[in-house]
Amino acid sequence: MNTIEFNRATIRFNESFSLADIEWRIAPREIWAITGANGSGKSALVATLAGKGEIMSGSIEGIPPGVGVVSLEAQAELIERERERDDSDITDEISQGTPVAQMLDEVSTNSDLLDRLIEMFRFAPLLGRGFRKLSTGETRKVLLTRALTCDPEMLVLDNPFEGLDADTVPQVREMLRQKSNEITMVLVFNRFDEIPDFVTHIVYLENGSIKYKIETRDSSAVEALSQLLHLKKTDIEIPKADLNEKIPVLDDSSPLVRIRNASIRYGQNTVFQNLDWCIWPQQHWQLTGPNGSGKTCLLNLITGDHPQSYSNDIFVFGYQRGSGESIWDIKQYIGYVSTSLLWEYRVSINLINVVISGFYDSIGLYNEASASEKRIALQWLRLLGLEGQADQPFNCLSYGEQRLLLIARAMVKHPPLLILDEPCLGLDDINRQLILALIEKICLGSESTVLYVNHHAEDKIKGIKYHLSLG
Amino acid sequence: MANYFNTLTLRQQLSQLGKCEFMDPSEFSDGSNYLLGKKIVVIGCGSQGLNQGLNLRDSGLDVSYTLREAAITEQRQSWKNATENGFAVGTYAELIPGADLVLNLTPDKQHGAVVTEVVPLMKQNSCLSYSHGFNIVEEGMHIRSDITVIMVAPKCPGTEVREEYKRGFGVPTLIAVHEDNDPRAEGLAIAKAYAAGTGGHRAGVLMSSFIAEVKSDLMGEQTILCGMLQTGSLLCFDKMVENGVEPGYAAKLVQYGWETVGEALKHGGITNMMDRLSNPAKIRAFELAQEMKDIMRPLYLKHMDDIMTGDFSSGMMDDWANGDKKLLDWRKETGETVFESTESSDPEIPEQEYFDHGILMVAMVKAGVELAFETMTSAGIKEESAYYESLHETPLIANLIARKKLFEMNSIISDTAEYGCYLYNHACQPLLSDFMAKVDTDVIGRGLGLNDFYVDNHRLIEVNAAIRNHPVEAVGKTLRAHMRAMKKIV
Ligand SMILES: NC(=O)c1ccc[n+]([C@@H]2O[C@H](COP(=O)([O-])OP(=O)(O)OC[C@H]3O[C@@H](n4cnc5c(N)ncnc54)[C@H](OP(=O)(O)O)[C@@H]3O)[C@@H](O)[C@H]2O)c1
Repeated sequence: MNTIEFNRATIRFNESFSLADIEWRIAPREIWAITGANGSGKSALVATLAGKGEIMSGSIEGIPPGVGVVSLEAQAELIERERERDDSDITDEISQGTPVAQMLDEVSTNSDLLDRLIEMFRFAPLLGRGFRKLSTGETRKVLLTRALTCDPEMLVLDNPFEGLDADTVPQVREMLRQKSNEITMVLVFNRFDEIPDFVTHIVYLENGSIKYKIETRDSSAVEALSQLLHLKKTDIEIPKADLNEKIPVLDDSSPLVRIRNASIRYGQNTVFQNLDWCIWPQQHWQLTGPNGSGKTCLLNLITGDHPQSYSNDIFVFGYQRGSGESIWDIKQYIGYVSTSLLWEYRVSINLINVVISGFYDSIGLYNEASASEKRIALQWLRLLGLEGQADQPFNCLSYGEQRLLLIARAMVKHPPLLILDEPCLGLDDINRQLILALIEKICLGSESTVLYVNHHAEDKIKGIKYHLSLG
Repeated sequence: MANYFNTLTLRQQLSQLGKCEFMDPSEFSDGSNYLLGKKIVVIGCGSQGLNQGLNLRDSGLDVSYTLREAAITEQRQSWKNATENGFAVGTYAELIPGADLVLNLTPDKQHGAVVTEVVPLMKQNSCLSYSHGFNIVEEGMHIRSDITVIMVAPKCPGTEVREEYKRGFGVPTLIAVHEDNDPRAEGLAIAKAYAAGTGGHRAGVLMSSFIAEVKSDLMGEQTILCGMLQTGSLLCFDKMVENGVEPGYAAKLVQYGWETVGEALKHGGITNMMDRLSNPAKIRAFELAQEMKDIMRPLYLKHMDDIMTGDFSSGMMDDWANGDKKLLDWRKETGETVFESTESSDPEIPEQEYFDHGILMVAMVKAGVELAFETMTSAGIKEESAYYESLHETPLIANLIARKKLFEMNSIISDTAEYGCYLYNHACQPLLSDFMAKVDTDVIGRGLGLNDFYVDNHRLIEVNAAIRNHPVEAVGKTLRAHMRAMKKIV
């Protein structure tokens, strides 16, 4: 590989985002970490290494042909490809999608490494499953495997550890460490504490420009940067609920959720069985479990999004499922955020209406919003530092910012049950602290019961005392 | 069985054809309560069957599936669709006798056989529903007189019916009650509750009749939707190649051009589609469309007449009886066209270029949509039905062609649409041959290549007014306003 050179490159991504005046040299076998706030251009910068964006001035030279990429953008492209291949809207075959084995085979050139990774990621049972049927963490593992086994000259990994279960992270880090002697890497990290010790250089981005470039040998510079990233947000105030919205009052003497002897099966495959769970008001829960253990399935039994909700014994918010209630009767009590929501939220809509759609439990907004709903939504945007963009299109935001907005959407109506499925994925340190502080506050209040899923031991929430572990 | 339409008096025919009214959202304030606790059994678990059933269940209704014996024993895809989603599945004998409402969601061609087998098993005073009325109207199927017969027809593919529901919205839907089978006068209440259960009421429900639905559906699909796009594809491609445009480029322009143009149509009607052209190109497209409309009008009238008299469906049913001989021959013929076998070239065509280099295609869409709409409304079909069966569905077929080109597009659409499409194509190609001889690559393939975009102001005002004042634009604007999902809400 040659040295890659960005010479005062200005690269445009869409109407509202460009990288400006990028000066950057990546020499062979250097390991770069890129950091910066959500929306600062981290993902955009690495996307340029995969040939994305339109160069408006300056130049980029020396990008090698074989680049292994893991990013939400790459994931989105694969999901889009699956959607295009899916003809179930025009045939009566409900598509199963491209199986994992084929997704791996189509790019892998290193079969030894492929076997090792399949073993390490415990993929074997998933090889026949369709790509879109995988859980968030499993999807990341497929992407990592594809990137590592295509014999790349350079690896570009946008948050390589994100979505992985706790015991896989060290293994992946170790694998990258070994590779770091052979190839160049550019790694993006939203969290400063995730930057591995074999990184040689750090870039800090702000508003689409490179603010700092430091060598990790220079420990005082690293120290200064880390302090910069840990500036605390002080005194957050949660916008109030809308007094005009009337979520019917629930009976305090019965649980919010009661699941008895539940099981989820796909064909021969059992995800979990004999599961019992009861959630009482004001008992905040944390749910953990390795990738693929069925956390999302379990949550979808509660939200009503899982078709097997009807074949299990589930009682939610006063309704025994399958007794004539509609899913909208149930969703009115729930605020929900997850990675799959991010993929499903594909409608043309502006920021403020995304938040307002939380009042209606809809994807997109199909009702006339009231003045008080708009006012509250604006307060949320202000809290997230996005009030200046209220009228901007949602799909122009970075994935991290999109997630912030969906969290606000989930919280906006102060729901009796707030389900946060790995809410901090993709958030930078500052926003993560903000969200964690918000969740803590909500736990201390009396309106919402919180159900929180996460992998990161550091992201513990104070008020959460109950714990369910799957798998 | 005799064609039902032809057994009616002229007055009855006209009143049925003219039945079509946009229902006020307040009519659905009761949601799907009318069906709460009733047993709904769906026959067939394909695209409509599965997705409508999922929505109805999520709306609190009791849904199960009945499949033909072989589908169950062989565990076919339809069986998997139902069981993997946690539905109860049984044979006709097991489930039909207990059903309050039976949804027939099998392919139209099978309706005769399926309904004949199922109706004797249905309990007294139950209800049978269709999502397309061909069997009742064209085949003249008689249903036992104690049974209520209704139709609930979503105007979108099944997957979209589901996706929109999950977002908290729905797709536009047409409902109807078969007047000969409404013994307890509850057909409308059932149809409304069913439409609400699929989410259709959020995007707009049209109260229609079996006859209006069938006659307009047949007319739309065989003329503008499948017919015009097929004929247009072949003529435009051949013209470009003949005049030296690189075949790979020509194939790509045609294959994806309809979809790009259709997208503009979907969001803002003919007006917006035409507005995507430069002023001089718009005037050219307008004039080409006028010329084609004059040439093709007799053909559209003939299709409408054959549909009204029943000649079209009896011809087609003869072919069914003959093992689809004609249909399959014609399908093969489509597969052998040069367009079909030419690989589209790789380089992306910028979105705007599809308009700039596809002026003739834009003109064909305009001519076809307007002619189909005019012909239907002049035959007594209401504007709202005519809109749904012409302009509204054009982008759907355009999208199919983008993904599958013509041969597969034809195999995927219903046999009825396919048969009609070939009839149209065989007549329309020769009809347009003199016209095509006169046009050149400036309107198809290369663009006008102007440096000077001069137009006469008076002419432009005249053309814009003619485009905007066409009746399909007025009704389209109202109906699209109800499909707010498409609107960027600001
Ligand atoms: N597709 C659309 O966009 C659309 C839109 C509006 C209305 N409709 C109407 O909806 C109805 C269903 O259309 P569709 O597109 O959903 O059809 P489809 O996807 O082809 O599904 C048909 C189902 O019927 C079953 N079936 C086929 N032949 C059968 C037979 N002889 N006896 C019993 N079951 C049989 C099939 O399962 P097995 O073969 O496994 O038995 C399959 O599950 C039609 O009336 C159509 O006009 C369709």
